[in-house]
Amino acid sequence: MESGIFFTDYRADMALRRKPTQQVRLGLFVAFLLIFPFVASPYWLTLANQIGIATIGAIGLNILVGYTGQISLGQGAFMAVGAYTSGILAARLGVPFWLSIPIACLVTAAVGVVFGLPSLRLKGLYLAMATLAAQEIVEWVITHWTSLTGGTEALVVPAPTLLGARVNTDFRFYWIILVAAGFTALFTANLFRSRVGRAFVAIRDQDIAAEVIGVNVFFYKLLAFATSSFFVGLAGALTAHYRTIISWERFTIEVSILYLAMIIIGGLGTINGSFFGAAFMTLLPAFINNVGRALRDVAPLVATLLPAVQQGVFGAVLIFFLIVEPEGLAKLWRNIKDYFYVWPFSY
Amino acid sequence: MVRRWTLMSVLVGLLLVAGVACRPGGQAEGPIKIGAIFDLSGPTSDVGLPYSEGIRGFVEWLNANGGLNGRQVELVWQDYAYEVPRAEQLYTQFVQEGVVAFMGWGTGDTEALRSRIADDKIPFMSASYSHVLGNPEEAPYNFLVGTSYSDQFFIVLKWILEDWQAKGGTGAPKVAFMHHPSPFGLSPWEQGGKDFAAQNGIEAQAFEMPRGATDFTPELSRIQEFGAKYVVFQTVSSPASLALKNAKSLGMTDVTFICLNWCADEILVELAGDAAEGTVGAMPFTPPTVEAEGLKAPAEFLASKGESLEAKGLHYSQGWWTMAVMVEGVRRTLEAGKALNGENIKATLEEMRNYDTGGVTAPITFTPEDHRGSKAMRLFVVRNGMWEPLTDFRSVEQ
Repeated sequence: MESGIFFTDYRADMALRRKPTQQVRLGLFVAFLLIFPFVASPYWLTLANQIGIATIGAIGLNILVGYTGQISLGQGAFMAVGAYTSGILAARLGVPFWLSIPIACLVTAAVGVVFGLPSLRLKGLYLAMATLAAQEIVEWVITHWTSLTGGTEALVVPAPTLLGARVNTDFRFYWIILVAAGFTALFTANLFRSRVGRAFVAIRDQDIAAEVIGVNVFFYKLLAFATSSFFVGLAGALTAHYRTIISWERFTIEVSILYLAMIIIGGLGTINGSFFGAAFMTLLPAFINNVGRALRDVAPLVATLLPAVQQGVFGAVLIFFLIVEPEGLAKLWRNIKDYFYVWPFSY
Repeated sequence: MVRRWTLMSVLVGLLLVAGVACRPGGQAEGPIKIGAIFDLSGPTSDVGLPYSEGIRGFVEWLNANGGLNGRQVELVWQDYAYEVPRAEQLYTQFVQEGVVAFMGWGTGDTEALRSRIADDKIPFMSASYSHVLGNPEEAPYNFLVGTSYSDQFFIVLKWILEDWQAKGGTGAPKVAFMHHPSPFGLSPWEQGGKDFAAQNGIEAQAFEMPRGATDFTPELSRIQEFGAKYVVFQTVSSPASLALKNAKSLGMTDVTFICLNWCADEILVELAGDAAEGTVGAMPFTPPTVEAEGLKAPAEFLASKGESLEAKGLHYSQGWWTMAVMVEGVRRTLEAGKALNGENIKATLEEMRNYDTGGVTAPITFTPEDHRGSKAMRLFVVRNGMWEPLTDFRSVEQ
């Protein structure tokens, strides 16, 4: 049993994963991710891909909300910008996806900065209203700028081709999402070990104090909007290529709220929390659905009530988890680790 | 101690998630599986529920009457609450469980799954009658049983021309197209309707009905300024009935209101009350108030359960007959001795010529070049709170 952690050089002290158990766990997780698609059924692959994309979007939102403390209701809008930029580039100009996706991320980052401008003067709920406006404006532009976006008609995006093969199955797309999500997680983990990331956290904790110690609050707020939107745009662009058909209905205010719920349930300001939240919010409805189907055959009387009950159960489970651990699933995970860390002598 | 129990319950919960979701897939033999997603708890559940009951009712009736060539049909279904991601999940799940065909519901899920079903070769029918879905070049595995929105709009525009001349109107009739702010709403306008009006000497203008609006007086006032004597709705019943009420308060008595199929139903009459009088409806599916051979089976089936088709409304027979056409494709595939898969069912459906639905719809014809099953429909009108026939079956050409 360990009684402390000792480092004898700076390299070890600054490592991303400092403890051997952390490294083993990460290794196991990566191995699982690599083996998973070969053993999983198509249904599980669909769920995995949805979780992957949601994780990228949730990490993006977490950079802004969880780490920098700037609340945003514009998640759906930023995803839409990413999806439509990449989709239009691929569908109209024939740009390959490995080029159209980075362009879409940069465009979304730029749009994020524009809608982040009000954060100079607005905080908290007021900023939430300003980002809500972003949501409405982007939706309006997409549905009315018909010559560019196709208006309310669905935009058909060609499935990406990689090494001459069409990436049109869940199995093939899994790898693209895996690379993108891995990059996002690694970048973000390192971001918050840098000067920039610490400036973000300083702004969240106390913006006036941050200003006093020399953080250019406005600059870093905009940088947070840009970084966050970059990854949210990545999630949107991946959605476009994965689903191959997109319409504005996929990026409504409900999406913004769903993502906020994800990072709150998962844990604000944590990367694994973003993953937990994304997985939880994807798997829970699927789980309730499957229980519903199983129950329906056993008790047909329940069948008529079930649709309504499903929504209720979903809400109740969310509340349950928030009461059990207000800091989210990431904290719950930490509790589990702590518990076993000192097990069986948990005094 | 409490903390430990919470941790344990979370772990057990996670295991349960993994356990239940890992159910085994379907088998090759046994019942014929057809997948379906319904909106039973989402924004369109008011019409989604009777439609789903119609589909389920047909399958139950079919199985009670011997099934398909001695084999039972199993409907694999679930509510998706009009949420596209959930529709995608359920679709993948059901395909994995071995369904050979799929029944969708709205524009959202039908559009989202369009390219997916083509890759998977799964014939698909839904209650979204967007014109483009009937074009096999764009959507090779989608089939439309109802008259497409664009065809409905064309037929209505032609009727407007007749009515305008019969009433002694001079010059070009003015038509306002009031639509839901969605692909569904704009579909008939963008997919041919705008051009059709211009070619036939009709002055038409589109008016969007904003989402969540509780009053359409501003839009109707603009329509009054425009001078339209005909207003065509492409929306669902509740906003249409609201607009009808607003129009009544504005005193627009000389304007004829026409509903395309998703607001031409019993719900509109119920919600709008007096204001619905005289409203014309484009109805690809015959309502239960009118006698039709094809309505007898669903009516008798419901009567045996102590329910009535009148109470369920026309969306019940819409679901019933949409399912019947799909099942007919499966039956013919079986009878031809071909392997039961999506590709063969599609090919068999494409050989369907003038399939008789007992007067519920115009006879259904699919060809490899055209998946719009019925090009004709009847116009109805609300008189004394009932939908009564106004015209016989008519198509654009007639």
